[in-house]
Amino acid sequence: MPDIQNYTLNFGPQHPAAHGVLRMVLELDGEVVRRADPHIGLLHRATEKLAETKTWIQSVPYMDRLDYMSMMVSEHAYCMAIEKLLGVEVPVRAQYIRVLFDEITRILNHLLWIGAHGLDVGAMTMVLYAFREREDLVDCYEAVSGARMHAAYFRPGGVYRDLPDSMPKYRESKWKSAAEIKKLNEMRSGTFLDFLQDFVTRFPKIIDEYETLLTDNRIWKQRLVNVGVVSPERALQLGFTGAMLRGSGIAWDLRKKQPYEIYDRLDFDIPVGVTGDCYDRYLVRVEEMRQSNRILQQCIDWLRVNPGPVICDNYKVASPPRANMKSNMEELIHHFKLCTEGMHVPEGQVYSAVEHPKGEFGIYAVSDGANKPYRLKIRSPGYVHLSAMDELVRGHMIADVVTMVGTIDIVFGEIDR
Amino acid sequence: MSAKLELLSQNLQKHLGDRIVELQVALSEITIDVDVATYLETMVQLRDEPELQFEQLIDLCGVDYSTYADGRWTGRRFAAVTHLTSIAHNWRVRVRCFAQDDDFPSVPSVVSIWNSANWFEREAFDLFGIVFPGHADLRRILTDYGFVGHPFRKDFPVSGYVEMRYDPEQRRVVYQPITIEPREITPRIVREANYGDVENA
Amino acid sequence: MGIDGILQEGFITTTADKLINYVRTGSMWPMTFGLACCAIEMIHTGCSRYDLDRFGIVFRPSPRQSDVMIVAGTLTNKMAPAMRKVYDQMAEPRWVISMGSCANGGGYYHYAYSVVRGCDRIVPVDIYVPGCPPTPEALIYGLLQLQNKIRRTSTIAR
Repeated sequence: MPDIQNYTLNFGPQHPAAHGVLRMVLELDGEVVRRADPHIGLLHRATEKLAETKTWIQSVPYMDRLDYMSMMVSEHAYCMAIEKLLGVEVPVRAQYIRVLFDEITRILNHLLWIGAHGLDVGAMTMVLYAFREREDLVDCYEAVSGARMHAAYFRPGGVYRDLPDSMPKYRESKWKSAAEIKKLNEMRSGTFLDFLQDFVTRFPKIIDEYETLLTDNRIWKQRLVNVGVVSPERALQLGFTGAMLRGSGIAWDLRKKQPYEIYDRLDFDIPVGVTGDCYDRYLVRVEEMRQSNRILQQCIDWLRVNPGPVICDNYKVASPPRANMKSNMEELIHHFKLCTEGMHVPEGQVYSAVEHPKGEFGIYAVSDGANKPYRLKIRSPGYVHLSAMDELVRGHMIADVVTMVGTIDIVFGEIDR
Repeated sequence: MSAKLELLSQNLQKHLGDRIVELQVALSEITIDVDVATYLETMVQLRDEPELQFEQLIDLCGVDYSTYADGRWTGRRFAAVTHLTSIAHNWRVRVRCFAQDDDFPSVPSVVSIWNSANWFEREAFDLFGIVFPGHADLRRILTDYGFVGHPFRKDFPVSGYVEMRYDPEQRRVVYQPITIEPREITPRIVREANYGDVENA
Repeated sequence: MGIDGILQEGFITTTADKLINYVRTGSMWPMTFGLACCAIEMIHTGCSRYDLDRFGIVFRPSPRQSDVMIVAGTLTNKMAPAMRKVYDQMAEPRWVISMGSCANGGGYYHYAYSVVRGCDRIVPVDIYVPGCPPTPEALIYGLLQLQNKIRRTSTIAR
């Protein structure tokens, strides 16, 4: 009898469904996968080592570039870690703004996830619809920080600056007449909060549109139901967090269980799945988008009526306002010291975790009293989820591998760091 | 210290007793230092004891303490730091285990206790050189296929020793020694704890 | 007339040039070589607001079917051989756009040990688009500049 061996296939680093740079070596028996070995490190940029050479605040933009689908949540975890080590209090208005942007980021992430997952599985129109909404939210990022994606808006002590009073508007040109411009500028005519309010009012209908396309779709269901079933015990053993854990039935969400910022004052629900397959995780994430919308509404209502400072007033941590800096000596010295040497963080170690759209994102920071971190470990949810890939795809077919890669919602910036 | 933290601290001392080398409570977090010899049984107990019940291993990383506080560190060099979470009791703990030997650091593997430690231990091996006996598949994960060295050790320069370019004669990418200079914009300064202290500015 | 001795600028070859360049620039098919964050901005450029399809640019997953490779994101030492292989698989005429500061010269990660300091160490680059990440407007500007470059420099003479 000839020796029958498994066929080894390279699911290469350049692949339209590889979500970046994933290289998987699949051992196949016909069409069925017997073993999957993910090779990562193709985007390893040594963020943690570079952060050791930069001051604490100079590393905030590195956090943006880790999970480049949901930027501000990573910054949030990092800033929380520094604030814990320093022992500074963040003003309430800054906390509400942070939560507002966390939820905007959650919606951004889930929109890209649903677009990319749909694109991989074959529902190609989802990308166009999801990105249409993403453009509005990315305009929010730009209005408040100047950059569409990597905002560097959260700083240790609060946020960079308050919400703007006006939004950038479309201008008349030879391709767009004044009447068309007027319609497009309708929602941009007020303050930032008016623009966001308009989005929040429209968004539930839009999620309904997406659900009409996918949720009861026969093909979608056949591709996703009973693919990648994870039992709750295995999910805990494998270290799953976030929607992967909630899809398997365990109601664990850091926003409710270990609340940070002002999440304990907000009213929202946590969707939990039943069977632990890809379809349940899809439903969990879609419902999370709706719940994020609810949180956004509450934050907008509070922010409208409560003005206040948006960064702490300890000038050893946060820069003083420029007007004061230019007129008083003490503020000038503080500004000088902060910009040249950076803040000094007392000795200690801290682990701060946030409920990232993909799971639990944690920063373990070790400080020895210097102006630069001693060790910064970034615990990304995608790393753990991808390590479980072998167990998840055994016995499934190649097309299901693509579905699994989509459902674990990975992005290589945070896996390879 | 809050009531929950107090309870966790008592439970840890009750069940682990003298296997804890040191228990620190700081910034609302508990860190326990454990010796290499008793590491595995401590971890099993942390997972299985109903009053502790840490079902999930959230993170495992290596730390190199050689240049801590500009060389004022007197302990051993390498440590494996593990973060555990209990879903049932809703608390966390940090477990730190120092490797005995500075030249060949080795910490027992916990992958049989929590499967999520798999890639974390591979990463600690790749970046620090800490070996985990008991791990079935300890190979490099983040660095390049033929990489030499353990990059996150403090004696490895941030720009490394080699860089890559394409060679048209050999018609493939090749390594060459690096051509860039190291650059430090802000020097690393450790100041004493109350430097410039003017009553919260 | 310029048919013999192709290097002479004759009426037929310049008209042929114009026609061929019109066709080439009118339907540049890029390959999706998104590595990191710039890939997201590339997807934004291809989607509803900054539509690339109106320029005739459709993204192709395979290098064999594409003209342009947009290197979007940080190129690491581990990925470089794969990228060179993919570039070699593209058929002539082919161009490369380096998108974002990481692909231009290492960018924010210039001093890291595992990053290639600019993808022009591995492949020859035609257009560099600066930004971190470049806005979709910047990328479209870069693509239009590539079209100008093709019209200017590309001839049927080899």
